[in-house]
Amino acid sequence: MGRGAPLEACTVDYAELQALLDVTEGNCVPNDAELFQLSGWTVVLLLILVYGGTLLVSAYIGKKKENADGYMTAGNKVGFGISAASMTATWIWASSMYASATAGYTYGISGPIHYGLWGALMILFIYPFGKRIRAVAPKAHTLAEVMHARHGRSSQLMLAGSNIVGSVISLTSNFIAGGALVALLSPFSFGQGVLAVAVGVLLYTLWSGFRASVLTDFAQVVAMLGAVVVIIPVVFFAAGGPDMFIQGADNLTPEQSNFFSSEAFLNQGAPYIAAVLAYAIGNQTIAQRLFAVREDLIKKTFVTATIGYGATVIGIGLLGVMALYLGMAPAGGDVNNLIPQMASTFLGPVLLCLFFVMILGALSSTADSDLSALSSIMMADVYGKNVAKKANPKTMLLVGRITMIVATAAALIFASQQMDILDLLVFVGALWGALVFPVIASFYWGKVTNKAFTTSVIVALAVFIPVRFSWFPMDGVTGILFDILSVAGIGIVLGLMAFGFFGLKPAKIIGSIAALASAPFVIGFLHDYTVLTGSLVAYAVSTIICYLMSVRSKQDFDFALIKQRIGDYDPQDDDGTHPDEDLDSSAVPTRK
Amino acid sequence: METFLLTVYVLMWPVIVAGVLWTVCRGFFKDWAESRKAGRSII
Repeated sequence: MGRGAPLEACTVDYAELQALLDVTEGNCVPNDAELFQLSGWTVVLLLILVYGGTLLVSAYIGKKKENADGYMTAGNKVGFGISAASMTATWIWASSMYASATAGYTYGISGPIHYGLWGALMILFIYPFGKRIRAVAPKAHTLAEVMHARHGRSSQLMLAGSNIVGSVISLTSNFIAGGALVALLSPFSFGQGVLAVAVGVLLYTLWSGFRASVLTDFAQVVAMLGAVVVIIPVVFFAAGGPDMFIQGADNLTPEQSNFFSSEAFLNQGAPYIAAVLAYAIGNQTIAQRLFAVREDLIKKTFVTATIGYGATVIGIGLLGVMALYLGMAPAGGDVNNLIPQMASTFLGPVLLCLFFVMILGALSSTADSDLSALSSIMMADVYGKNVAKKANPKTMLLVGRITMIVATAAALIFASQQMDILDLLVFVGALWGALVFPVIASFYWGKVTNKAFTTSVIVALAVFIPVRFSWFPMDGVTGILFDILSVAGIGIVLGLMAFGFFGLKPAKIIGSIAALASAPFVIGFLHDYTVLTGSLVAYAVSTIICYLMSVRSKQDFDFALIKQRIGDYDPQDDDGTHPDEDLDSSAVPTRK
Repeated sequence: METFLLTVYVLMWPVIVAGVLWTVCRGFFKDWAESRKAGRSII
């Protein structure tokens, strides 16, 4: 589920999502145009198959009395098969498939690599931090909840707020993708498609929450990945096979046929590299899986999901490259039609049904994860930590279920009424970028204070906005000053990525080399690219302020306190019993 | 040669995806068997 960020990468996703919205405004292929469509009954049967099947799976594991902690993190002991499938399914959403194909069609053979590879690394680079987070907070439900235990309310709500906005945007986008798919490939309207997807996802997720989300993710990943294995070779050979590369070579510019295209790297790859950690920190859907999987399986799970996501999204993106070789013009001038167009041109009715299920699985698995993420934030961060003096598990479950219904209704309204909530991506993305250093440092460095955390994020956001929207001219010294901050931002991004794997000393070396090596190319040049400059400046400002305010503090936080402050909310065990050790009041977190 | 490399480039991804699918399914059924043996739900 690639998400929005304060970067040019964000504008890529933004453009994709906006284009999905355009489908509802008449820019898509009219229903009677050249795209082969499935019959109304076929689509109804497919929807019943997908959502009826997931509802049955959900009912199979449903309990009359669900456990509140299980509803949020499935008891922190999910096995490898389910957790790897769930992380893969959650991160692959309809827009990532469409965007990868667009990158292939726009930038040529390296386009899908520059979309899928960096998106996959978002999963990979978070796992070393995830291991540390699990070590200090083994029973946590959300990342913001850990921030509450580490710092207090302002840091917690800042992170939780950004998580909520991100998940609502993602949920809306998935509903839009569902409506667009139904409108393109069936006689039904966009609105009917949105409603079917929203109701279908809510029905199977509502009762068992995260448990239903991850188990149905397994079924969805089997359908999705199975479809990819079949569809790519079938389309490739139906479109002419290797001969396509000979006959269509003239349709590519030299830059598009260059595997090491600098244009693809600068426009698609580089901004995404900068977004890697921001996306990962900003998504409760990732944090939830970090807390749910058995602790010894974190690395195996996230490495598998990295490969699964990367191969799937790059593979599907190559449909865009094939369209480029074939000289195919996107139907209705909309690049988002490329994948459905390739599918309806080269697949027969049976495989087109499989394609329909693949896209439906991609958007549903992400939408149910967003619902689970939103419910756990409202349960743990809002009710558990800020409303209840002593959280009641029954009330907590009610809060979670009401959240799912309200979130679905809100996303349904946003999607159907085409309300322009996508502009929020710019701000929430900037917030994620500004949060990266303070959040990561808070797990390793005892000196980071709540004041440093909050101040650094707010100041970074305040600097980001005028830079991003060009509120003042970037001439002369001002431009150079922001370029220097951007150089620092590059060093910080790469240093943090290295820190997770190699530790502090190598991270400092890699960050310094990256900053020094990029300086000659950045200073005097980058400030013209306000989107990328804005995001790098947000990273740099939040890091510098957080560091300077913390390094002089006399605080030396005892990380063992986090384990004491966060535990299970529900003393009822998974099998309905009440083990004595869980009834110890110290294990039941109360409002601080 | 270039055509061959491009063909490999296109067809390698479904093969990798199939490998991931196999790994995930094997993990799932192993979890399933263990949970049944222990008499508890898989999740």
